[in-house]
Amino acid sequence: MTMTMMMMEAMVAKASVRFPSILTVLTEDLLLRILDMLIENSHRKSWSLVCKEFLRLESIHRRSLRVFRHDSLPRLLRRYQFLDLLDLSACPCVDDATMALLFGSPYISFSARWIKTLVLSRTSALRSGGLEVVVRSFPCLQEIDLSYCCGFGDRDASALSHAQGLKVLKLVKCLRVTDFGLAKIVVGCVKLENLSLKWCLKITDLGIELLSKKCTALRILDLSYLKVTNKSLHSISSLWRLEVLYMVGCSSVDDDGLHFLSNGNPSLQCIDVSRCNNVSSRGLLSVVRGHKGLHQITTGYSFSELSKPLVYKLSELRNLKSINVYAAGVSDWSLEIIGNNCKHLVEIGLSKCAEMGLGCLGSCCLLLEELDLTDCMGVNDAGLEQLSRCMDLLCLKLGLCMNISDKGLSHIGHKCTKLLELDLYRCKGIGDYGLAAIASGCKKLKKLNICYCVEISDEGLKHLSTLEELVDLEMRSLLKVTSVGLTAIAVGCKSLAELDMKRCCGVCDAGFWALAHYSPNIRQINLSQCRISDVALYIAMGKMKCLQVAKLVHLTHVSVEGFELALRASCIRLKKLKLLSTLMFLLSSELLQVLQARGCKIRWMEKALILD
Amino acid sequence: MSMISGDKSSTEILSLKSSDNEIFEVKKEVVLESITLRGMVEEDEFSDTLIPLPNVEGKILSKIIHYCQKHTEARAKVNGSEGAADSKEIKDFDSEFINVDDKTLLGIILAANYLNIKDLLDLGCQKIADNIKEKSVEDVRKTFNIKNDFTPEEEKAIREENLWAFD
Repeated sequence: MTMTMMMMEAMVAKASVRFPSILTVLTEDLLLRILDMLIENSHRKSWSLVCKEFLRLESIHRRSLRVFRHDSLPRLLRRYQFLDLLDLSACPCVDDATMALLFGSPYISFSARWIKTLVLSRTSALRSGGLEVVVRSFPCLQEIDLSYCCGFGDRDASALSHAQGLKVLKLVKCLRVTDFGLAKIVVGCVKLENLSLKWCLKITDLGIELLSKKCTALRILDLSYLKVTNKSLHSISSLWRLEVLYMVGCSSVDDDGLHFLSNGNPSLQCIDVSRCNNVSSRGLLSVVRGHKGLHQITTGYSFSELSKPLVYKLSELRNLKSINVYAAGVSDWSLEIIGNNCKHLVEIGLSKCAEMGLGCLGSCCLLLEELDLTDCMGVNDAGLEQLSRCMDLLCLKLGLCMNISDKGLSHIGHKCTKLLELDLYRCKGIGDYGLAAIASGCKKLKKLNICYCVEISDEGLKHLSTLEELVDLEMRSLLKVTSVGLTAIAVGCKSLAELDMKRCCGVCDAGFWALAHYSPNIRQINLSQCRISDVALYIAMGKMKCLQVAKLVHLTHVSVEGFELALRASCIRLKKLKLLSTLMFLLSSELLQVLQARGCKIRWMEKALILD
Repeated sequence: MSMISGDKSSTEILSLKSSDNEIFEVKKEVVLESITLRGMVEEDEFSDTLIPLPNVEGKILSKIIHYCQKHTEARAKVNGSEGAADSKEIKDFDSEFINVDDKTLLGIILAANYLNIKDLLDLGCQKIADNIKEKSVEDVRKTFNIKNDFTPEEEKAIREENLWAFD
């Protein structure tokens, strides 16, 4: 007895000597280097649970924090003292008192000392008092996002104007800000480089005039949907450092206004004039004429045709990398001229451009990475064959292209092997054979949309199951697909995180069991109108440990008890839920309270069931 | 002591001595993969003598030399351009190379850090990170022989905070 005990002790002693703790072997900087390579939050959180030293290392390493529970803020700010970015957009009840409590005391406010970026979007309860605390307590603050703070007005803008180091300010949809508040900001924040006033409907030409005089360092400006007139463009033209200008939906601006820009803004590189009803090719032409360095142009729903002079001028832009023209008539000839001359084009958006074929793209735009041909009726198999010569394609959108079939798609599948994203929404001509080609050639595919491609059956899904990197799959209304197909996807697509299978009525419980068992990483799922039973739903919701968003409308085979159990099994993780409105009165109030306390947002749908 | 002339450097052989007195004869261009050794070689005239590496044992040193040889050859094939590290051949070699037990892996990391071979250091650290990703918290503790010094209450509090409070 004693001999074996001694032997066992000796073995244990030997084992522990043989491998000392990693903490004694590796230095702190090496451990931090390893921590650098753990990018996913879930892995970093596991790391922090290993021991006190690992916890300490994670606390000094983390640079950005998004907070979900505002009552955890004091503890979190003590735990993480070296943050660059603090995001409180998920804490809508943060108000002046919270800010004073958190950052008024010197002990906790210590943690604010390095913070450069503060996200306070949707914190509607925050006012000038809270902002004054922010400005005092965050010495390194350079960027602040106050978008959708509907209460943010001129008095609050005044408080913000004392943040003299501010470089980036986002005030999207701050509906109460007027020229007066804007004036305070531009006078106080002299270093401003990036400003978004999108949807700040009370801003007028007067405010923009003062802005242009004071914010000489401005590089990025967003005036989308403002009721500003040509006068504002005249003022803006003096901003000599301006590189990016967004003016989507500025209906009070016309070609004469754009003409002001042509002689100014020597640094302009990107412009977006979509949805400006009174702008035509002539206006855009004057901008292009004055700015040879333009590399990104977006225009859509503004004018119906690119005029010849405009096309010629566009083709002279040697640095053009991205052009997005939506709902305009772009002819083959225009595309050819631009493609042949703008050798650096990587992104082309031609959504809803009806007449265009694709003959030239394959021969001239070989660097193309992103192409949006949604709803372009002229796209056919011959065009896809030409297009497949663009072997660097990363993202291809062919939604609503009714004239393509498996034949055309197989060219893409065989040649465009770098493809990451493919959109075949409602491409009725696509079937299993096309998917086979894609699955065999585009091994890196991450995102695929095959909604309403009703010819696809289990065979097609079996081919897709070889795509191990597929993260996001949308397959609504594939009526020929059964559990066999879904099982294949679940087993093979190991990276699957987002699945939309609304109305795949051919799939029964066996498929959902497979999904629950083989796809534990699913974060987002849409099972609306599927034939899933109580038990299968319970198992699925329980086993999907990463599930955060679930759309469960019109599950006709699930009873109220079934929903109750399934939601209880997953309530700690769910952040967004979509349910039929009748369930609001049928589910227990306990469950609804728990969901609300855990921060889950529920959308109650009134939709009637569409039977086809 | 002879001067090291430019055209001789590609065929010059240097000797490295490990902590357990094993001697390795290595081409100079391979040795120069290590920034630490590059400094030693350029500063002093080591061409006739041994470079002692008391921090690195023979078993690890031989693996490191193998790595540096392979990478030097690959770079020469692409004529010194940056593309060498991306080739499929080198990627396959790297993943085979780093597929070793934890003790050797730690040894490689420490040596790569001391010898300042950035690519190898990154490769080793990435491998440990990948190993950690697949394991549960308890398994990580077992593998790296780390004692759990949290009290059950502390561990519970951190778990709660990690789960609910932030991302």
